[in-house]
Parts: sequence; C-alpha cells; structure tokens
Amino acid sequence: MFGKKNNNQRIDPVPPGGLCSLTEVPEGEVLKIVEIRGSQGLHRRLLALGFHPGDLVTLENEALMNGPVLVKNLTMGSRVALGRGIAQKIMVEVAAGDE
Amino acid sequence: MNDGVPVIVFIGQPNCGKSTLFNSIAGYKAQTSNFPGTTVTHVHSEVLWKGEIYSIVDLPGTYSLSPHEPQEKVVLTHIFKEKPDLIVNVIDASLLSRSLELTLELLELEYPMIVVLNMMDLARKKGIVINVEEVERKLGVPVVKTVATRGFGTDNLMATIEKALKLKIRPTGPHYSREVEKRIAEVMDILPEDFPVVANKRFTAIKAIEGEMLAVDKFISEHNLAFKRELDRRRQEISALRDAPAYEVISAERHHLALKIFEDCCRVTRPKISAIDKLDNLIMDPVLGYFFLLLIFAGMFYLIFKVGSPLESWLLQPWETIKSTIENQFGHSLLAELLIGLVQGIGGGIAIVFPYFIPLLFLMGFLEDAGYLARASFLLDAFMHRLGLHGKSVPMFILGFGCNVPAIMATRILESRRDRIVTALLIPFVPCAARTTIILALIAFLLGPWWALGFYFFNFFVIAILALILKRWFKYDSPGLILEIPSLKVPSLKSIWQKIYFNLKEFVSFAWPILIAGSVLLSFLSYLRFDRVINAVLSPLVTGLLGLPQSLGVTLIFGFLRKELSLLMMFQALGVGYGQLMAVITKTQLLTFVTFVTFFIPCLSTLSILWKELGKKVAIMSVALNLSAAVVVSWLIRLVSSLF
Repeated sequence: MFGKKNNNQRIDPVPPGGLCSLTEVPEGEVLKIVEIRGSQGLHRRLLALGFHPGDLVTLENEALMNGPVLVKNLTMGSRVALGRGIAQKIMVEVAAGDE
Repeated sequence: MNDGVPVIVFIGQPNCGKSTLFNSIAGYKAQTSNFPGTTVTHVHSEVLWKGEIYSIVDLPGTYSLSPHEPQEKVVLTHIFKEKPDLIVNVIDASLLSRSLELTLELLELEYPMIVVLNMMDLARKKGIVINVEEVERKLGVPVVKTVATRGFGTDNLMATIEKALKLKIRPTGPHYSREVEKRIAEVMDILPEDFPVVANKRFTAIKAIEGEMLAVDKFISEHNLAFKRELDRRRQEISALRDAPAYEVISAERHHLALKIFEDCCRVTRPKISAIDKLDNLIMDPVLGYFFLLLIFAGMFYLIFKVGSPLESWLLQPWETIKSTIENQFGHSLLAELLIGLVQGIGGGIAIVFPYFIPLLFLMGFLEDAGYLARASFLLDAFMHRLGLHGKSVPMFILGFGCNVPAIMATRILESRRDRIVTALLIPFVPCAARTTIILALIAFLLGPWWALGFYFFNFFVIAILALILKRWFKYDSPGLILEIPSLKVPSLKSIWQKIYFNLKEFVSFAWPILIAGSVLLSFLSYLRFDRVINAVLSPLVTGLLGLPQSLGVTLIFGFLRKELSLLMMFQALGVGYGQLMAVITKTQLLTFVTFVTFFIPCLSTLSILWKELGKKVAIMSVALNLSAAVVVSWLIRLVSSLF
C-alpha cells in the first residue's frame, strides 16, 4: 500500500553485481544471500532458522520508525522479522539468472 | 525406559503444531499458541491407548540441536538424560525443507524415530504436494500425515508409534560429502576413552566439531588439551573446504540435503492468493497495520465489556435475592453471616468473574492461534526499543492480559537475561484477566466504559514510564529482533476451547475455592470483629495515604492471593451489595482503590513464578517496584481528583 510506494521511491535498485545489506534494497526484488556477517551467536541462529548463503530472499515489508524488516526466504518458504541491526549484517546481491 | 513404560518424546521446530498434536492425543495438557517458543518447559503425559500406557513428553520447539538458546538446552538435556524409546519429530509440512534440517540432525542420534507431517492442510494451500512414500524412503523412518487442529491422523500416529516401539528400528544419519565424512571418521577415532559419548560415537564426533566456541569446547579444552588440538585441526580442514567455519559447513550440507529431499519428494504448484494473504498484507502494512493493531485491541475490550456487563447484571440478580432472603430469615446471627459469606463467594465467582473472564480468554486465544502476536511484535519492535526492550517482548505483554504467570514463563525465549528481568518486572503491571474483571466490573460498570478505556491507557502510560525508569537502571544492550512470522490462519475452535478449559480449570480448582473460603472466613472474622485488627494495622496506608474507608484494608490481603478477590471482598468488607456501592464510596475512592489493587503487588502465583524463574532478588525487586508504583500512582490520583 502507501508504505511500499515510498520505499520504492526512496531506494534505487541494486546495481548488478553489487553487494549490499538487506536494509538497502527495495521491497520485492529477488536477492541472493552472499554472506552473513556479525557475531558467531547471530550467525548460528540465522543458520538454524534456515538462512544460508546461497538462499534466495526477498524483502517483503518494513516497519515504521527504523523498525524491523520482514524477509521471506524463497528457498525455504519461511518468513522472518529481523531487526535493522541484524538485517544490516546480511549481505545480498541481485539474483539475476539464478531463477 | 522406566518401569517398562515406553518414553516417547515429541520434538519439532517452534510453531510446528507440536503442542496441539500432543494435546489431541494426551488430553488437555500443554498450552498451545501460534507464537514460536511457547512450550518453555517440557510437559509429561501418560497416555492410555488400546490397553497400553505410554509416557509422552512434549519438548520446547527447537530449530536445531546446537545448544545456543535456552529452550534448546532443555531439549538436549532431556534427550540425553531420558534416552527416549522413540522420537516423534513433528514437522510443519508447509515449511518442509526448512524443517527437514532438524530431522536430519535428529536422525544422527540413531534412536527409533517417526516423522509427522503436520499442517498438511496449510501445505496444500501453499501449493505444496508431498509424496509421503518418497519422504519415507529417503529418510528411512515411518512418516505420518496429520492435521492436529482438526484431530486428523492422530489414530494413525498412535498405531505407527505402537508399531515402531515393537520394531525398534534404528535409522542411520545422513551422509555428508566425502571430505567432511573423512574428518568425522577421524574425530570418532581420536575420541578419548573417557569422553562422554552421547547417543553414539558419530553423533558425539559431529557435535564436538560443531561445538566450536560453545560450552562443549570449553569442557574439552579443560579436560583434554591434546584432543582439543586434534579436533581444532579437523575443524580447520573442514573450514577450508568452503571457506566458512566448520559448523557452517556441516549446517550448509544439511541445508542442501534437506533441499534435495524436498525437491525430490514435492511438487510445488503456484499457490492461490487467498483472502487470508490479502488480510495478512493489510495487518502487516507499515501504516495501516498500526491502525488495525489499535482497532483489534480496542474492539477486543469493547466486545468483552459488551458481552460481560449485561451478563453480569443478569447473573447477579439471583444471588442478591438469596442474600436478602438469608438476611430476612436469620438476622445477624453467626449462621447468617457465614451463609452470606458463602453465597457471596460462590455468586461472585459465577456472576462477576465468568462474564469477563471467558470472553477475554476466548479472544486472547483467537489472536494467539491466528498468529497475530508475532505480527504485533513486528509492528511494535521499534517502539519497544525506545522503551529499552524489543519486539520479542510484545507477545509476553499481550499474553499478560490473559494471565501474568504464563507471560513470565514465556520470557524464557528472550536471549538476554537483562531483557528477561526487565520484561518480567513490567509484566505484573499488565492488567490480567483478573484485573480486567475488576476494571470492567467496577469502573466500566459503575462509571461508564469511557472511564475504563481511559484507565487502560493510563495503565499503559504507567508501564511505559516504568520501562523508561528501568532502562536507566539496567544498561540497555538489547540484541536485535530475530523472530519467525508464522502463517496467518483461521484458528480452530477446538484449540481455543482447550486454552479456555486450561485456564478455567485453574480458576475453578484453585482460585474459586479460595474465594469461597476467603469470603466465609472474612464473614467469620467480621463477626468476631477481628478484621478490625488488620484494618487498624493497614489504616495508615489505606486511610491516611489513600483516603479510603478503613474497612478496605483487609481486602488487600486477599488481593495478594488473587486480584479479583479484592473486588469481591470489597462488597463483603463494606457490607453492601453491588448496586449500592456508589452510595458508600466516592468516585475518587473507587479509582484510587482500583489503581492500588491493580498495581500494589504481583499476586501469589505471579510472585512464585517470578521467584522460580528469575530468583529471589528479582521477586523482591518486583514487590518493591509494584508497591512503590502503587503508592505513588494512587496517591497522585487522589491528589489530582481533589483538585477538581
């Protein structure tokens, strides 16, 4: 709805081949996880939730006031809300040609 | 095995419907919800099926078998301590590939196992068609289809359990790539003689490799440094294979095996966008979502009041009649006083508690099972951060509206102890069903619904202020939110009814008897004029500070047992019926009293769970915080009201 339009205007599409974090991407684009940064604890928790490098994900929604982002793991079919600090540590690239 | 009774454990990832399934075969035992991680301790149940007794254990949901979250430790300790005869791995069929990662880990235990594909209806809706025979063949264990919310497949499950216990077939774990297998075999060979083998050598070796930097690792380096060095070398070799830590390499291999099984056994058709998906988009919308959030909660309390208040007046009448009959018949004898106490206790339970309690439990259950709590966490996360908490605490606060006790237990899923303590200290300020009863029965019924709504907002305001105070006290280092958002679904009435039954049973078997006994005791005390002693002791607080009638002092003692007792005892103490209450106390006194009772101390059950979960210090802190907040806030109300 209105929220989504704003987001699409605010953020430019990810440049092909470029690496960026999950907080810097437009909603709805299919992305591939390249790397999960951050502490080992965080790393393990995301792995356990089925988030692995190579998985295809898409940003579905963002809450107000710098709130969390809603990420759908297209490979696994699960949906997870991630705080911005955590989403910043998940590096993605455009999944062109992967699908 | 204990006493020949086979032990069966239910293991699954959070929110796979494990507790619902457990309930449908074990009777009404576990609390279920559509929020990840609600079963925080394990629940035992003895089940009789076709003349055989089975001991069934429902373990908390866990994403993996690596112990880095509190619930997962419960799972691991339990598996290793009890050596189950059979593992029942429950899977959300609509999330098959993700769930299989845990299944593969469980297979490594090589215990007899059954896989349950639950939520088959949801999978179908998502367009996932599963070839069950193929899954069975790939995993090498029996696979059963169920829809736990409708009780579908439970008989088949019990039959399969019976058969599996007889056959005792041990499955084999998954095979990893050659390079990884080589390292696992090497670690198995060098495992020291005295190394505690869990389940089997292979599982122990894999977990040792994965245990990098975890408690296991510390144990190893303290006990056998030579082995630790050898182990580290294998880890480095595995790590070099994929340029990632060893635990990630193994986890990624499981991930790909799970995906492979999923791709080989399932056909995914394009899912239909259903009305429920559209609704989901609406309630998760970054703008409209907040509007719906407000609407849902305001509507919920409006509905409870609309249902409850006519029911309350209707149910009260017969008891009032009985009371006046007794008074006319026996005058003011001891017998009459005791009888009236009895009637007020019984009648109070039926007429004042049930009309609000049941609708509240129903609506709470509905929101919980629909999966709304996780969505509320998502929407409110940013707001909660300002208060020094994060979104994951939201469901606990919402659960607190039903009852503070399970809400405090649910704080276990918070990763940091600091967050647990702050959340647990704030939960006793959330008006639970008992206090909602007081607020609706006194404020809404006597002063009008707007006053009650105002009181709620005031209550939230107090919680926010306290959160800000606690934020100064406890340094804020909240980790970010990681929360799975379950599918939105239409809750099953059966499961909601189970929840109501659970709470109602608790009320009828514990609170109501106390209520009746307390009411009779109070009559007796007032006949002996002993309540005056208690009232006199509490008088400086009750009359001096709060400006309330002295006779209300004794009701606070009962309020500590259970909050609604204060309300019911109030009539007893003031010696008036419901209708005449406003004749003996003023509006200000009513507001002050309700405020004080709402906040003054966590009730006995809440306090004991705080003590048990977080220790004596936190429990005492909670009492001190509640008491001081209650005194300050009620005194302020008195002060402000006196200005008008």
